[in-house]
Amino acid sequence: MPIDDREMEDKTRGGISTLLARAAAADVRADEALHVAIDDVFLPDAARLEDRIRHGVTHVLRDLANGIAAPLRRHAARLLTTRDEGALAELLLASNDDTGARLAAAGSLRDARLMREIVGRVRQEVVADALPTVAREDPDTSSLLPRLLYHADPVVGSSAAALLAAESRRRIGGPLGAPLMSDLPAELHHRLAWLSAAALREQFARAAGAALPALDRALAEAAVRSIATLDENQRLEAVALRLAEALEPTPGERAVLLVEALLDRRLALFIAIIAQGLGLDFADARDVVLDPDGARLWLLLRALDLDRATIARVGLSLGEADPRRDLDSFAEALDTIVAIDPLAARQALAPMLLHRDYRAALTALARGQERSASLRDWIA
Amino acid sequence: MTVDAAVLPPARATLDRDGRLVSADQRLLDLNGRAGGMVGQRLAIPQLVTVVRLAKRLGIRVSRTVVVADGGGDLDLWVRAEPFEAASAPDGVALTVSGWNSRPSWQPAGTSEDAAGDFLRSAADWMWETDSTLSLTFLAASGSMPRTADAALLGQPLTRMFQLGEDDAGTFPILTGLAQRRPFEGQSATLRSTGQPVLLSASPRFDPAGLFVGFIGAARAIDAMERFTADGKAAPTPDLDAVATAFAARLDHTLRAPLDRIIANADRIHAQSDGPLKQDYTNYAADIASAGRHLIGLVDDLVDLQAIERPDFTVAREAIDLIDVARRAAGLLQIRATAARVRIDKPAFGETLPATGEFRRALQVLVNLIANAVRYSPVDGMVWIRAERAGRIAAIIVADQGKGIARIDQDRIFGKFERVDQTEAGGSGLGLYIARRLARTMGGDVTVDSAPGQGARFIFSLPLWG
Repeated sequence: MPIDDREMEDKTRGGISTLLARAAAADVRADEALHVAIDDVFLPDAARLEDRIRHGVTHVLRDLANGIAAPLRRHAARLLTTRDEGALAELLLASNDDTGARLAAAGSLRDARLMREIVGRVRQEVVADALPTVAREDPDTSSLLPRLLYHADPVVGSSAAALLAAESRRRIGGPLGAPLMSDLPAELHHRLAWLSAAALREQFARAAGAALPALDRALAEAAVRSIATLDENQRLEAVALRLAEALEPTPGERAVLLVEALLDRRLALFIAIIAQGLGLDFADARDVVLDPDGARLWLLLRALDLDRATIARVGLSLGEADPRRDLDSFAEALDTIVAIDPLAARQALAPMLLHRDYRAALTALARGQERSASLRDWIA
Repeated sequence: MTVDAAVLPPARATLDRDGRLVSADQRLLDLNGRAGGMVGQRLAIPQLVTVVRLAKRLGIRVSRTVVVADGGGDLDLWVRAEPFEAASAPDGVALTVSGWNSRPSWQPAGTSEDAAGDFLRSAADWMWETDSTLSLTFLAASGSMPRTADAALLGQPLTRMFQLGEDDAGTFPILTGLAQRRPFEGQSATLRSTGQPVLLSASPRFDPAGLFVGFIGAARAIDAMERFTADGKAAPTPDLDAVATAFAARLDHTLRAPLDRIIANADRIHAQSDGPLKQDYTNYAADIASAGRHLIGLVDDLVDLQAIERPDFTVAREAIDLIDVARRAAGLLQIRATAARVRIDKPAFGETLPATGEFRRALQVLVNLIANAVRYSPVDGMVWIRAERAGRIAAIIVADQGKGIARIDQDRIFGKFERVDQTEAGGSGLGLYIARRLARTMGGDVTVDSAPGQGARFIFSLPLWG
């Protein structure tokens, strides 16, 4: 209860300004909500993520960010302890905050390259999970990767072992919500490491007080360490590509490998073999393989000069695994696909076969020209 | 997918290039006949037609698991269609159908493989998968276990990781499992790298044509004591308590999270929070949610049951106000009572009845008694809650206007898995059993006094405090 009137007035005034501020904020929020709703309504169904993929992406994104932030925080705390900032270090250790969720809420994870990687990865896992395993003619023949361990070429053997390990690591993942060990491409890992450091700084800046420069230094050093310790070569995608390159299959071997990889549900290897055959990077090949509209994939397979039966098996496996694909129209189109000349297929894919950085540069240049043109229009 | 039916020999059929049936084994002929088809005509079973057509058009073998209706039931079939080109005869498709499992009319979505995996995972220190030659294709250690050079074992035979031991009958469960394509458990083994004794269990995986493609399995580390038991040699008294506790923990852990998810999602559908739905569907969702809640209740009861049956189960002896407990219990059930149009007549405020017991457990007993009373009350009925004190005994009486319980049933209803009304669907049949056990552990009792048509009076008594 207020002791005198002046206090009551203050309180009322405070209450009013809070209310006004909230009303103003609500205005902005309502406007944002409307725009999100509009976007949602006009989203074409084909572009919409299925619930399962969206759920997976949300979690992987957050768990990966936490997987980077948690060791970062631990290391920063260790550095602070050695620098006589024990209290701050304990604060850093004690907090069990969900850095991933903070980054997501702040919109820092809305990054096209990051999202392309995560969406592709989650979709790859979902499709791989759904691929029908098919028993071999001879039940005494091991599956592909265990057999490759004993390949005459030791590089193939060690790459196959590495791929088995990488797939196990990726699949373990731990329960949803547990921090994931980062196995992102280096540049994405760098980005997330710095973003996590920034989010931690923001979170602890007030508590640090005069020790803020020490906190900054510790977080920056921890981020640099996180970046330095990432071994990009151990990523599943890199390992799969390495195996495909070590195998360097002839067109005939490639057909057998592709089908076997699918039957063993080794989708990463399947994608890598295609990427290797055409000199694509893994992410590009993954986009094409997982695109439910198979047109680009059929062209790729023809560009690799694969025969009818192989293309049919690939189409069948992917069609059974991904309900968005239309198996019936694939069967309908199969003869047309097979009739495409490999050379013509390569030509049709030419833009895609250019070096990725070259393509990125071309796109950037085109965008830049567009911008300066519109700027000129505006000045004129 | 059950394995037994794989024993039935596959039935074969040949179809010509236009999909007309040329010849077939009797079982397939009969199935097709019951669907209205015959030799010389196209197959009459749409699911088989789809597979045959796909194989024909793609020009490759197509395997699929399909469900077809046969008479009043459904059959699980493993179908393989393989196009052939013959020099002498015109080309066509060879069809092989195995499986022939009849399945219940409703079966949960998701594969039994997933379920097997989830169950194995709930108590595993290692998860492993193999291909059909038992080479390891996947390996994961749980957080608590050291990752003993996992990577180097991948691709190697399972026996490179585990040294297998025979059971007391001199057999290897894994070999039986492998030979019969069945799940196995209790295969004792030691981890070669550390000598750690483990127990292996696994389920077979099959391809769409029903052929074995490998095992999905788990390994659990056991200590030396368990090892004796597992081997069946000079077993010291097996620690049944530990087993039961582990079972309850596993039950709780395995079932609660998926049930919570089912209930939450069903409630969301029911509330139409993602948009309007046909009334039928929201009603189904409500049914799903209530069935889920029932199952959660059952899990709670089983976990409770397990706890109170342990010899070392104890309750606190503290001062509680039995009337206050009864009022709270009634409050917890108010919503349910209102929904069932039953009124609860609670003891008036201001009354107290000091008794000896544990607050939480006394509340559990009374919630059970009042919930029963509400459940069996007629619409617009009344449930009375009264406090009594007789000598050194404090008691709460819960009376309803239900159809009552015959004298001969009055002992039975306190038994395990018994119900007041056997035809009635709800309840686990454990509530009264647990209530009485709890009351007796606190030095009191739960008794009943009733006659058919007269309603029932349940009396929960505890020693007076002080």
